[in-house]
Amino acid sequence: METENIFASLGDSIERLSSAASLLERTVAWLEQRETAAGGAVEKMTAAVEGQNELMERDRELRLKLEAAEQQIAELRAQSSRTVAARQTLPASTTQLLAKQGISMVDSIQAGALDSALTGLSLEQRIAVKAQLLRAGMLTQ
Amino acid sequence: MRLEAMAITMPEVADHPNRIPFEGVLTVVDEASTRPPSGARGHRVILTRDAARAALPSLLGMAVDYAPKWDGHDARAKCGIITEADVIGSQLRVRGYLFGRDFPEVVQQLQQSEAGNMGMSYELANAHVADMRAEVWTLTQATFTGAAILLREKAAYRDTSFRLSAGRCRNSNPVREHAGARLAAHSGWRFEKQSFGQIQRRKEV
Repeated sequence: METENIFASLGDSIERLSSAASLLERTVAWLEQRETAAGGAVEKMTAAVEGQNELMERDRELRLKLEAAEQQIAELRAQSSRTVAARQTLPASTTQLLAKQGISMVDSIQAGALDSALTGLSLEQRIAVKAQLLRAGMLTQ
Repeated sequence: MRLEAMAITMPEVADHPNRIPFEGVLTVVDEASTRPPSGARGHRVILTRDAARAALPSLLGMAVDYAPKWDGHDARAKCGIITEADVIGSQLRVRGYLFGRDFPEVVQQLQQSEAGNMGMSYELANAHVADMRAEVWTLTQATFTGAAILLREKAAYRDTSFRLSAGRCRNSNPVREHAGARLAAHSGWRFEKQSFGQIQRRKEV
């Protein structure tokens, strides 16, 4: 039963890793596309210095852009902290396996210490536990 | 030094009261503007030599305009016409006429201005910027839609100039033909008359 749970969570992890990889691929493609589209057209330009009205207009545009960027940063920060909070949970099966090996709930564990603590488990079980800990962001080098 | 020139053939009219010839440096090529031009979103710009050369035909026949305080453009206050444009070294030089009879106050103010005080400014449309994220924009393609006469300090390029010419425009027919023959004979200018009455000269020194 426990092994089934472990394999199920391992499958879940692989699925998540796979979707993360495809997301990364899409991001890279987008970045490449953005690179080639760096050139642009300007409809009108005059080689005279900008007047007061134009400077004020540009100032207003820049302020709006800054506000939008600040809002986006705040949203990303909030999203990031929510993600970290969500990641700090482990499936019950993994927690039980760790408990059987004498590891109670910890915020993080080093890879070396984990290897020596999990010697009693099979290879598949060790992989599954490590995958869960990695996903939860609780495994450090 | 490389020279590229284009001109419109203008028929000669002796003592034409409405043609006051001028010449000036409209801009410099392959060099960053001293200050950001209007419309460049705060970026200084470089007009490449190739882009300027390719855009020379679009400059011919375009108007020069002025603002009452000589501090910018007023595309609807057209007081003259550009009939000739050359890329000489790093300068894009233009010649043409002001409508002296129609704008006597403009001619008078220009005559009274201190030497070196006046400059020029181009008007571009459909300018292609190689990289919009670059600190200095490089214009690789553009269409000239006109030019303005203005105070040099108000131009985005410090090294522009404008002055009323002492003589006639060199591209009036008799003058040009004479000058063309002289130049062709003595300095290797090559004239190619095009079907629409445009003269194109090329010379490499």
